[in-house]
Amino acid sequence: MKRLTAILAATTCLSGAAFADDERIVVGFATAETGFMQAYDKPAQDAAMIRIAEINAAGGLLGKQIEVVNADTKTDRAEGAKAGLSVIDQGADMVVVSCDYDFGAPAALAAESSGLISFFLCAESIKAGIQGVGPNSFSASVLAAVQGATMAEWAYNKKEARTFYRLLDTWTEYNKGICDGFDWMMPQLADATLVGEDTFLNEDASIAAQITRIKSLPEEPDAIMLCTMMPGAVSAIKQLRAAGINSMILNGSGVDGSYWLSAVPDLSNFFVPVQGSIYGDDPNPDVTAFNAKFKEVTGGDPSTQYTYPGYVMIDVWAKAVERAGTTETSAVVAELEKMNGEPTLFGPRTFTSELHHQNQARYLIVETNAGKPGVVDEWTISAPIPVADLMK
Amino acid sequence: MAPIMQVVFDALSLGSLYALGALGIALIFGVMRLVNFAHGDVIAFCVFALLWPSVDAVAIIFAGNLPWFLLIPFTLAVGAGLSVLSEVVVFRRFRRANPATMMIASFALGFVIRYFLLMLFSSRPKSISLLPGLSQPVELLGARIPLLQLITILVTIAVLIGLTAFLRRTRFGLEMRAAAENFTMARMLGVRANRVIMGAFALSGALAAAIALILGSQTGTANIMMGASVMLMAFIATVIGGMGSLAGAVIAGFALGAIATVMQVILPPDARAFRDAFVYGAVILVLIFRPQGLLAARGTKERV
Repeated sequence: MKRLTAILAATTCLSGAAFADDERIVVGFATAETGFMQAYDKPAQDAAMIRIAEINAAGGLLGKQIEVVNADTKTDRAEGAKAGLSVIDQGADMVVVSCDYDFGAPAALAAESSGLISFFLCAESIKAGIQGVGPNSFSASVLAAVQGATMAEWAYNKKEARTFYRLLDTWTEYNKGICDGFDWMMPQLADATLVGEDTFLNEDASIAAQITRIKSLPEEPDAIMLCTMMPGAVSAIKQLRAAGINSMILNGSGVDGSYWLSAVPDLSNFFVPVQGSIYGDDPNPDVTAFNAKFKEVTGGDPSTQYTYPGYVMIDVWAKAVERAGTTETSAVVAELEKMNGEPTLFGPRTFTSELHHQNQARYLIVETNAGKPGVVDEWTISAPIPVADLMK
Repeated sequence: MAPIMQVVFDALSLGSLYALGALGIALIFGVMRLVNFAHGDVIAFCVFALLWPSVDAVAIIFAGNLPWFLLIPFTLAVGAGLSVLSEVVVFRRFRRANPATMMIASFALGFVIRYFLLMLFSSRPKSISLLPGLSQPVELLGARIPLLQLITILVTIAVLIGLTAFLRRTRFGLEMRAAAENFTMARMLGVRANRVIMGAFALSGALAAAIALILGSQTGTANIMMGASVMLMAFIATVIGGMGSLAGAVIAGFALGAIATVMQVILPPDARAFRDAFVYGAVILVLIFRPQGLLAARGTKERV
């Protein structure tokens, strides 16, 4: 038996050596350096680079310096596949792909078919992982559904919200994901009622008809679950408040950031779940220190919480590589799947053999009051959202 | 009564936006048979003209800080200027080309404008508080509507009256109408083509700027794609209205706004996500029964 293990180990080493250059550990970024996605990929990539620099400064990974190679997807799906192949050809051991599932998937699939690990920078669809790409694909962020569920449960428990209104922007899977999580949570909240629901489209110039429906309710709802994202979110929020609706507005993380608040002066009663605070008031002082470092490196503060998953990504991957003692895909995936509540700077992370994403996560709750956002609470949903419910 | 009035105001304000857009497209189509698909990007450009170029997440408001009595003429001038510039630089060279070629050129111009904005401002939507005084609710006939909605409707009516007066009472308007009806004949009778076409572009650009101001203050957002959806609806309105017919474009614009609003009200929740499919279904029905549009422009009829 011992001999068999030894032979197996030897062959694994040999085959490993055949594929990867033992002297280097390479992270390949097949992300958007130009075009529409650039604004979303760059901050998370900058954060990833900060973690890589930290690891290298501390002596590297498995005693080797992490090298980085890049290829531009140009925010184009066909170019995405090419960019994926390009970083693989340059010797990538792990492929980082665009934030969004649709734009990141081509490069992730290229990595999958070369037997490499891929990480979506901040995709929040369940498809960004085993279900959409394959068994070696992961996402560094948290599922959109967790955001909706978190807001519903938190508002119910901490704000005594009992009547909810659901306003869904049908533009993207992300938006639907938030509302799916909200729908999953609602029946678990005793005596909470859904008093109405409506849909709109992100690009709608006006949501006047939707607002009229809310205003014709006998009573203003306690909370409006707004499942949308930029840029339509600002428009919807502005119009809701301009129409004199003062209910608390619950959102997904997509509306985090203070950069847009000038559009809705003195916004209040507005709540967003975030993985870490960009406002300098994170309960964990290390996050504030990270923000300072990010500013030092990039010249600007993080503008939204979507900067953070990039850091988490390198962090968990490097830990898994360290524990596996190799960058070989199956060994690293096995180590990643052993992570259960693995502490990171931005909350614990769990991966299993059926889900490479977070279906339960600690969220900080940011309240915007008189135009000033700040952390007021934190919340972890009472139970993880079952994979079956996420696949609906 | 109040709920019905509320729907009426919702429909009128959305329709106003489409009508203004349709008018901008119909004006140019009338004089040179060009469907200007860059119109939506002119709208986006006008909003971005109020910002200082930067790729940061936080917008640096520049001209947007002007008081309203300077802000409005400034934006209108930017729209008219860009539109005239596009005529001089691009469309003048296509004067003898067939309409399909001109349409492709307008798409190309739209891309150039959009990517120019992308380069200067990045793809991240910017926030801008434009005319914040308009974001207050007012009571009118039992309906409680944002002041901006009311202003939108009033501005559109004023623009329509002004434009009608301009086209009917001034020499320039007469020339424009003559050119729209039969361009060659008008030229032979002494109408100066370049002047008329440039006038049409300037008016169309100013209308785009008016939409930009309304959209900007309604949504609080500057986004490089923001003109696209209004442009699409406006184009459809010009088609249903009868290509080149200004009155038809306006009527169809209001009709589209009304259909979209009413669909949102009467459809069951599960079908609401497909609202636009119902709107376009109505468009198809109109075109089946009146393929020439509601009011066909005389100049576009086939001549024997």
